[in-house]
Amino acid sequence: MKLSSMNYLFKQGVRNIWTNRIMSVASFCILLVSLLMIGFTLVFVANINQFISGVENKNEVVIFLEEGIEDADISAMENTLKYTENVESVTFYSKEEALEGMKADMENADELFGYIGDDNPLPDAFRIRIADISQISGTLMEINRMKGIDTIKSPTDFINIMTNLKHFVGIVSLVILCALVLASLVIISNASRASVDIRKREITIMKFVGATNTFIKVPFFVEGMLIGVLAGVIASVCTYFGYVELVKMLSQDTTILSILSVNGFIPVGNIIWKLSLGYIAAGAFISAVGTVLSTRKYLKV
Amino acid sequence: MVELRNVSVTYSNGVDALHDINLKINDGEFAFVVGDSGAGKSTLIKLLLKEITPNTGHITVNGFNLEKLPKSKAHKLRRTIGFVFQDFKLINTMNVYDNVAFVLRSIDAPIKYIRNRVPYVIGLVGLKDKAKCYPNELSGGEQQRVALARALVNDPQLIIADEPTGNLDPKNKFEIIELLKGINECGTTVLMVTHEHELVRYFGGRTIRINAGKIAFDDYIG
Repeated sequence: MKLSSMNYLFKQGVRNIWTNRIMSVASFCILLVSLLMIGFTLVFVANINQFISGVENKNEVVIFLEEGIEDADISAMENTLKYTENVESVTFYSKEEALEGMKADMENADELFGYIGDDNPLPDAFRIRIADISQISGTLMEINRMKGIDTIKSPTDFINIMTNLKHFVGIVSLVILCALVLASLVIISNASRASVDIRKREITIMKFVGATNTFIKVPFFVEGMLIGVLAGVIASVCTYFGYVELVKMLSQDTTILSILSVNGFIPVGNIIWKLSLGYIAAGAFISAVGTVLSTRKYLKV
Repeated sequence: MVELRNVSVTYSNGVDALHDINLKINDGEFAFVVGDSGAGKSTLIKLLLKEITPNTGHITVNGFNLEKLPKSKAHKLRRTIGFVFQDFKLINTMNVYDNVAFVLRSIDAPIKYIRNRVPYVIGLVGLKDKAKCYPNELSGGEQQRVALARALVNDPQLIIADEPTGNLDPKNKFEIIELLKGINECGTTVLMVTHEHELVRYFGGRTIRINAGKIAFDDYIG
């Protein structure tokens, strides 16, 4: 095909958008809503995963030691812990450090601890960080075999809940996304079919005057692609401002965030470029291919 | 040249549309095809345009053996045929110039050729001043002239006109046939399908009458 013909067909595609503006607007709106539904679901799932991962990272285990344990035994235990598999770091907190820390955290500490005098009731302890949280049960079993341990405080149950929750959110979000994509494809293909349907007469005429299928399809492809790109761009802008406003609104109430002990939402800059590219590529592809496929039955003349 | 040898068409619903048709139309001929509704005229046109394929028989149109021509290459055959429909079938979103130029654009004709050829053909059918008008701004007769210009622009070997006067008033009917006769005099084969016997009797010439899927009459009248 000559360059001049390609130029003509491209112009025809652009012109068709205006000529069939009602159907173009309808296709654009359907595509925009579909992209936004999928995009916001992705953003929501990404944030949920970040929250869960943030909670999961609180993987600290505290090992309280028996009363009256010797310094040499403490050093030996520290060495053993350091070389225990799945232990990332080991920090020793003496009973004195624990008492100072407690005093610093409490407002009326002097009054309260005045009754105790020099008698410190707190035990010595190790604080260890676990490398792979999913393997925590095995690691704790191994640590439990060591002598001189009084009790071990670990968030095992909470971590198990979070790991299961992450898994559950992953599956549910995948199902929701698949359903959304499928529903969007059906709606978009119906919209493009309706848009092509009203031009079946035009396609038939083109076939009778000897136009090739490619010559007929190219303007439809251009038209679908441009509508898709435009819907992608507008969806990106809507997501950017919508997300920024939503985060601003939710961040004002810090209770939930502090309960979850997470730093906050994913910054908009971290997601918007990838999402925009996805929007534009998916919008252009689905719309262009959908429109071209809808012309097929009329090309059989 | 158009040639049909022992052509039969039976539709999937069992209707026997054409039965053992033998027909030859030589280059440069003007032939009327007449017959009542359901006689098989439309089926004949569909065969010539390779819209359908016969159950049996052989068809040759403008040197194309339609048996061997795949559907995907039907556009090559159609580029040698100018087609005029009863309902004009103009693209309403294009003006007269673009409706005619479209045919040449679809075959990748050079822009310079399109710029010269299209105004010339629009002038031939007497619509020089209406090149920028849209179909809905034209009368029925003018729309059919645009359809004729579109059929002519590619300098086809054969023009098939399917009831081209069906939607026109008597004055325009005569004018359109006069135009088709003029085109024929320049060497283009014309096959005009009609059920208006008075027009056929008035203009005369080769007349093929199809009745119940068979050729009932094929001779020169008038």
